[in-house]
Amino acid sequence: MKSRLITFFGLMMATLALPAATDLPKLWADRTKSVVAVEYTTETETERRPTISMGTVIDALGTIIIPSGAIDPRAATWQLKDFKVFLPGDATSAPAVYLGQDAFTGWHFVRADEATRAKLTPVTAFAMAGDAPVPALADFVWGIGLRNKDEDFAPYLMQSYVALIQSLPQRTAISQHEVAGPGLPVFNRDGVFVGIASTSFGQSYLQFSRRSRGDPILLVNVEESSAFMLAGEILPHLGRVPKHVSGRPLAWLGAYGLEPMDRDVAKFLKLESQSGAVVSEVLEGSPAEKAGLKDRDIVLALDGKPLPQLKPDRVVVTWIEREIDRRAPGDALELSVLRGGARVKLKVILGEEPKLLREADRKYFDRLGFTAREFVYGDAVDRRVKAADPSGVVAHFVKQSSPAAIAGLRQEDWIKEIDGVEAKSFAAVTAKLEEIEKDAARIEFVLLVSRGGETAVLRAKLK
Amino acid sequence: MKPFSARSISALVLAFFLVNSLVSPVRAAGMSRGFNQLLESVVKIDVREIAFEAGAKRYTGGIGSGVILSADGLVLTNAHVASPRAVEINITFSSLERVGAKLVGWDHWTDLALLRVDMAEVKRRGLKFAHAALGDSEKLFPGQEVYAVGTPHGLTRTVTRGIISNNNRYFEDTRGVNGYETGAFNTWLQTDAAINPGNSGGPLVTDDGKVVGISSRTYLGANNLGFAIPASTARRVVEGLLRENGSITRSYIGLVPGALQDLENFYSLASNTGMLINSVDPGSPAARAGLRAGDILLALNGAKIDGRFPEQLPPIQNLIANQPVGASLKLSVKRNADIRDYTVVTEKLESRVGEEWALEKWGLSVRKVSRAYARENQLDDANGAVVIGVQPGFPAAVSGLSRGDIVMKINELAVDSLEALKFAHAGYEAKPAPTLFEVQRNRRVSLYILKP
Repeated sequence: MKSRLITFFGLMMATLALPAATDLPKLWADRTKSVVAVEYTTETETERRPTISMGTVIDALGTIIIPSGAIDPRAATWQLKDFKVFLPGDATSAPAVYLGQDAFTGWHFVRADEATRAKLTPVTAFAMAGDAPVPALADFVWGIGLRNKDEDFAPYLMQSYVALIQSLPQRTAISQHEVAGPGLPVFNRDGVFVGIASTSFGQSYLQFSRRSRGDPILLVNVEESSAFMLAGEILPHLGRVPKHVSGRPLAWLGAYGLEPMDRDVAKFLKLESQSGAVVSEVLEGSPAEKAGLKDRDIVLALDGKPLPQLKPDRVVVTWIEREIDRRAPGDALELSVLRGGARVKLKVILGEEPKLLREADRKYFDRLGFTAREFVYGDAVDRRVKAADPSGVVAHFVKQSSPAAIAGLRQEDWIKEIDGVEAKSFAAVTAKLEEIEKDAARIEFVLLVSRGGETAVLRAKLK
Repeated sequence: MKPFSARSISALVLAFFLVNSLVSPVRAAGMSRGFNQLLESVVKIDVREIAFEAGAKRYTGGIGSGVILSADGLVLTNAHVASPRAVEINITFSSLERVGAKLVGWDHWTDLALLRVDMAEVKRRGLKFAHAALGDSEKLFPGQEVYAVGTPHGLTRTVTRGIISNNNRYFEDTRGVNGYETGAFNTWLQTDAAINPGNSGGPLVTDDGKVVGISSRTYLGANNLGFAIPASTARRVVEGLLRENGSITRSYIGLVPGALQDLENFYSLASNTGMLINSVDPGSPAARAGLRAGDILLALNGAKIDGRFPEQLPPIQNLIANQPVGASLKLSVKRNADIRDYTVVTEKLESRVGEEWALEKWGLSVRKVSRAYARENQLDDANGAVVIGVQPGFPAAVSGLSRGDIVMKINELAVDSLEALKFAHAGYEAKPAPTLFEVQRNRRVSLYILKP
């Protein structure tokens, strides 16, 4: 806390020397109404885990967006409970509803209850009509941070100057200092909305202590960020509120392990001022496979748009993913690929993403000590097996010191047989496990599990 | 490949040993003639070997010990003391005279290596040495007094005394001998005679000077938990190495055994019958024949199998390993209530550690992908070479290659052998030009340019 105060002081001093923003306190009072803290609980087999995130209000319906990292992608939507919205500096909370995640922007959407809506102002109220303003280098920007829950999420001011603007692939400004809490808006001198702070970047430091002499460490400020995505990347997409909490429909290509290349490779392959991405594997039964995409093809363009050269190299993969995510299942996509030196054009009809891990059926057996999860497409991909004839279930969770844990079962083990009987469907497995769990006279059960291509017979003692 | 439940011991005794050349009394050993002769037959071994790890060929030195087994100069030691990477081996007799030696046999599976002293030099210089005899390790009993002779932590001519703590200890270690597998085909003698880093390769002997084991490992950080390879294993391996020209050919079918212990009831088996098949290596002969994990092996070529306890597994593994390569084995297998026979054709057993090399202009050390490595890592085939090291500032490191990557293609040509890599490297050496590498890392395929 002390160091933060010092930082604050330093910032204040810096601003004094410059022409003050147009009545910043007045702008401040209005704009803090467009930020909230969102709290929800993730209910797991044995515990309830609260998570707090910061969000920006985007419309008059009280819709709030929170960053993609705010919710664990493995969590099923039914595990996410008790969404609550806190107004800055207000100890009371109001109930909210989770609306789902949009694949293209990555945002999670939450909606505040009726009573709260009146107290909120959407950030769009501070946006300029027409094209969103792009801050120039050295422009003054300011944003809002929220203190912790025990301080009633009190809002505080952060100010800085634009130091760099990059495509990641979204246009992102990086300011000299932290400028807002991740997920919270950033404004210019006149109070016009210019962006939303993203997750902050790590910063390298040397750590000196009694035991270490200048060990390099990476520090990430999780409460404040110096990077913000420009309003032009945000305002056009605020309408992407998921129609369903699952976030579906989700467009699917089925090219696994897209790997970027550096400029040396691009130059070697005679790609002038553009980039390419290697397709590591084409997934079985996917739209890409049907369109004739092959392992190790190099993607050069989507619908005639060449892959841009972005930095870091990795960003081009996000660029491709966004191109797919902005489309819908059934949409056509033309892929230009490099295959053994020849350029090939393929027409893909995007499909619907197979059932995701977070959507897989699950059932927890407390006496046995583990959760059985339906074997979904992604499980088959991870384990390099045919997805066409899935069998078995996956141990989604193993309770510590439970019979299953003592027998050696671990999370993500693939259970292939139970008591010597092949585990065919999820329904058959849960029926069998229920029967074992209910049988008070049971002494043991035996699982055949596979882990990393090897199998083992595990014997779990119930008594 | 081993089941993940297998116990492993990570601490390996580094090898140092020096013979006791003194005639000073060793009273507890009864000053027996045999014991004195043993002391005169223990040698110190200095090894200079080539290492490829850091993107370059480097020479490293190691010291170990061994015991002379015959008048014609055969020396038995640990496989982790002297390996095929050795470029120079020197032996110091108890007389403190030093002569050269050559590796004549190596078997990492049992951690044993066989050297031959340069007999021409011995004759020319008129040197003399004694030799020891292998004793009967089968007759050892827990509590029996034994002596370990070695150079713990560089302290030469150290004799330590203890007892046999367990005469039939089982453990396997996938990376036990400088990264090579060990322990599947033998049990170990456990002793509380102090064995410390430096004792490796030295003999474990009874008071008559008979070699009953070769000290090879210890639990670092534990007190007096030392392990030796029994003489019965050593005798078999020495004979095999001499007969088969330096290596032991074993058969492989891809079964990973498990002890049945108290699973007999679950599998409705009579006591002391059968061995649990804990895992079947994907793509192995057993997998192709239709065997599955959870099957029970009842008999092999008609011979009944009993794998109830872990200690019983090495003999069963040996039974399979000793079949000729390419032989058809009849396995009687119980699956649920059915018993049926499967025919499995054996393959030659291979280590997962392939041949290594350093491509110095690139600053790149590689290890050929072996069949076993490919199976373990679910690769499509045994093509490619694993990066085991890169030298900072050299083209490989600069381009972004790193340890663990698998080089699949160079300038579009498949890396199906180390020769293919050496050939590409020679071309680069002659005429340095940007070279395209196709690399696989955790199933992801990336391209890199190595440039001068």
